[in-house]
Amino acid sequence: MENSGEMEKVVAVIMVGGPTKGTRFRPLSFNTPKPLFPLAGQPMVHHPISACKRIPNLAQIFLIGFYDEKEFALYVSSISNELRVPVRYLKEDKPHGSAGGLYHFRNLIMEDGPSHIFLLNCDVCCNFPLPDMLEAHKRYGGMGTMLVVKVSAESANQFGTLVSDPVTNELLHYTEKPETFVSDLINCGVYIFTPDIFSAIEDVSNDREDRVTANLRRLSSIDISTSTRTNIPTDFVRLDQDILSPLSGKKQLYTYETMDYWEQIKTPGISLKCSGLYLAQFRLTSPHLLASGDGTRSATVVGDVFVHPSAKVHPTAKIGPNVSISANVRVGPGVRLISCIILDDVELEDNAIVINSIVGWKSSLGRWSRVQADGDYNSKLGITILGESVVVEQEVVVVNSIVLPNKILNVSVQDEIIL
Amino acid sequence: MKALILVGGFGTRLRPLTLSVPKPLVDFANKPMILHQIEALKAIGVNEVVLAINYQPEIMLNFLKGFEAKLGIKITCSQETEPLGTAGPLALARDKLLDDSGEPFFVLNSDVISEYPLKEMIQFHKAHGGEASIMVTKVDEPSKYGVVIMEESTGQVEKFVEKPKIFVGNKINAGIYLLNPSVLDRIQLRPTSIEKEVFPKIAAEKQLFAMVLPGFWMDIGQPRDYITGLRLYLDSIRKKSSEKLATGPHIVGNVLVDETAKIGEGCLIGPDVAIGPGCVVESGVRLSRCTVMRGVRIKKHACISSSIIGWHSTVGQWARVENMTILGEDVHVGDEIYSNGGVVLPHKEIKSSILKPEIVM
Repeated sequence: MENSGEMEKVVAVIMVGGPTKGTRFRPLSFNTPKPLFPLAGQPMVHHPISACKRIPNLAQIFLIGFYDEKEFALYVSSISNELRVPVRYLKEDKPHGSAGGLYHFRNLIMEDGPSHIFLLNCDVCCNFPLPDMLEAHKRYGGMGTMLVVKVSAESANQFGTLVSDPVTNELLHYTEKPETFVSDLINCGVYIFTPDIFSAIEDVSNDREDRVTANLRRLSSIDISTSTRTNIPTDFVRLDQDILSPLSGKKQLYTYETMDYWEQIKTPGISLKCSGLYLAQFRLTSPHLLASGDGTRSATVVGDVFVHPSAKVHPTAKIGPNVSISANVRVGPGVRLISCIILDDVELEDNAIVINSIVGWKSSLGRWSRVQADGDYNSKLGITILGESVVVEQEVVVVNSIVLPNKILNVSVQDEIIL
Repeated sequence: MKALILVGGFGTRLRPLTLSVPKPLVDFANKPMILHQIEALKAIGVNEVVLAINYQPEIMLNFLKGFEAKLGIKITCSQETEPLGTAGPLALARDKLLDDSGEPFFVLNSDVISEYPLKEMIQFHKAHGGEASIMVTKVDEPSKYGVVIMEESTGQVEKFVEKPKIFVGNKINAGIYLLNPSVLDRIQLRPTSIEKEVFPKIAAEKQLFAMVLPGFWMDIGQPRDYITGLRLYLDSIRKKSSEKLATGPHIVGNVLVDETAKIGEGCLIGPDVAIGPGCVVESGVRLSRCTVMRGVRIKKHACISSSIIGWHSTVGQWARVENMTILGEDVHVGDEIYSNGGVVLPHKEIKSSILKPEIVM
């Protein structure tokens, strides 16, 4: 019995979605899968993956989604080598819902006989306190434990809101995006389950199949499409509505509250905020990833900044805080960067300025050009976004705007979406 | 020869610059506007200038005292106690303008900048032998002004049409006159308009002649026209005395830099820029279509276009100042700030960006 704890294997499943999801992430999701969009210089999915590495006895990490395998092939092989943990991408033939997707690949997930399965959504940004969740989950003794966080009462209805027992932490009530105020505690999209979760999903699926058959019998003479029930395929199982809601208050699900940061990475604007949160975490966990400099031999660096080793930054530039510079970027003399993400192969010419913006792959900014925004992460044009291969000509100013790929800006714009 | 310069009042249209000095003392192309006129007058032999002024005459006189000696010209003030229009000030200054010589005298509007072809005007005046000469200039939109209808070959003025709704001509009164002393007998000491009351009568007697002003003309009484006026003025300097303009790999187009100003490395300056005495332009700065007045510091990597930077102001590192931004005296724009058309009153510090044109009190 004493050894059993060490023997118990754990696997992690990260739901990455697919190309028909993440439309709110346009124009940055046009040609890069959202899970690979870099935050703090690392692909979005890298942050939950590296958090999984801290789980004791981690056997495997699975990414489940409906993107093409080849989109993830390169990343999956390099991260497997780096972490020395097998990371596999499992492609769904169609969306199954997060519970359905998990169930679809149950045989592969269970091949190492894990005692626990972590399930993480890729589009959340937090510090993923996975070992602490595992400990709590074992104490509670239920089938599943979910990470929860308190948010403002006004924003709670945009999420899965829940009520948990203040003493036992049992999940008492769960409702997805309620119209009225239910609670200020919300679901973070990070769970740990025992393998019993598969039977719970199976029950939902079977129940639905029964109902479909029943409906078909009843509706034999009526057009089937008039029945809404039949529109949900039997193997499509949502975690929130189909599992969490019905199982709440049955001593099977528990909550673990994080007091730390949490964001859902819905839009490019939020991704800039999340990039900053991850950079701040690097300051604590991996300061070697952050750049430094005082303007003598390398650029002046202020606050938390990531610079890819292949990027060339002129010593007269001043960078930070919250700046992430990706591969092969060239930052010219006298460039100023504040709170921004500069993606691969961008050229920033002399004295260009970027504030509260994301500059897309292969874009170029001319001399004394200026790309900026108010920095309101939640408003539609609060962060300026330049899509791939956008050219901002010399001295042009772009303020609070979104520019779709392959545009050439030779006059200044403000508060516009440029198609 | 004598001359009267109509200075007028508060110069509200050129605020916030005129909150610090009277309008004629606002710098244009690195010297006070009125000096352009006084120097042009001195150059053709005027030895006494009367300023018709109704606001802060002591500041003007104090300032101009130094120039009296330097230029060898007598400068006096004729102060209105009430607004007298465009003709009344002539009656008020009658005693100062009249002497035994019987020579004509010039009347200049202080808002106007041009090449001041005063010598040609004297020749024109002598040639036609009439009582009064006025300069006219061609404009694109004559409906905004008073249009002068004249006989093209002789220049004899037929009539004035104020702000015509339909096209009657495109030559307007340029605000530069050469008048025989007898004209003063036609003006009463009361608020009165020279264009509406005095000139039409002289024209009716076929004694008024108009000369088309060669070269540029601009009323620089408001910021947009001030910036346009600088471009026209520098174009004219390029043609007449290009050695006054700056040269070098960092200069584009016409740029006037005071010899006491310092410019750092990696800058790109021009076109149509004036940098005043004692200014410091640090490295990596971009300036175009702007005026940088005395004692200003532009910090590294800043970019300024189509703007006026008032005396002793500073513009921070990586700041962007553009689109008719007018900084009054002693305004300080913080690092990385963007001003899009901010009009800033004197002695202010700008700590957050101005994204849309607005006035900062």
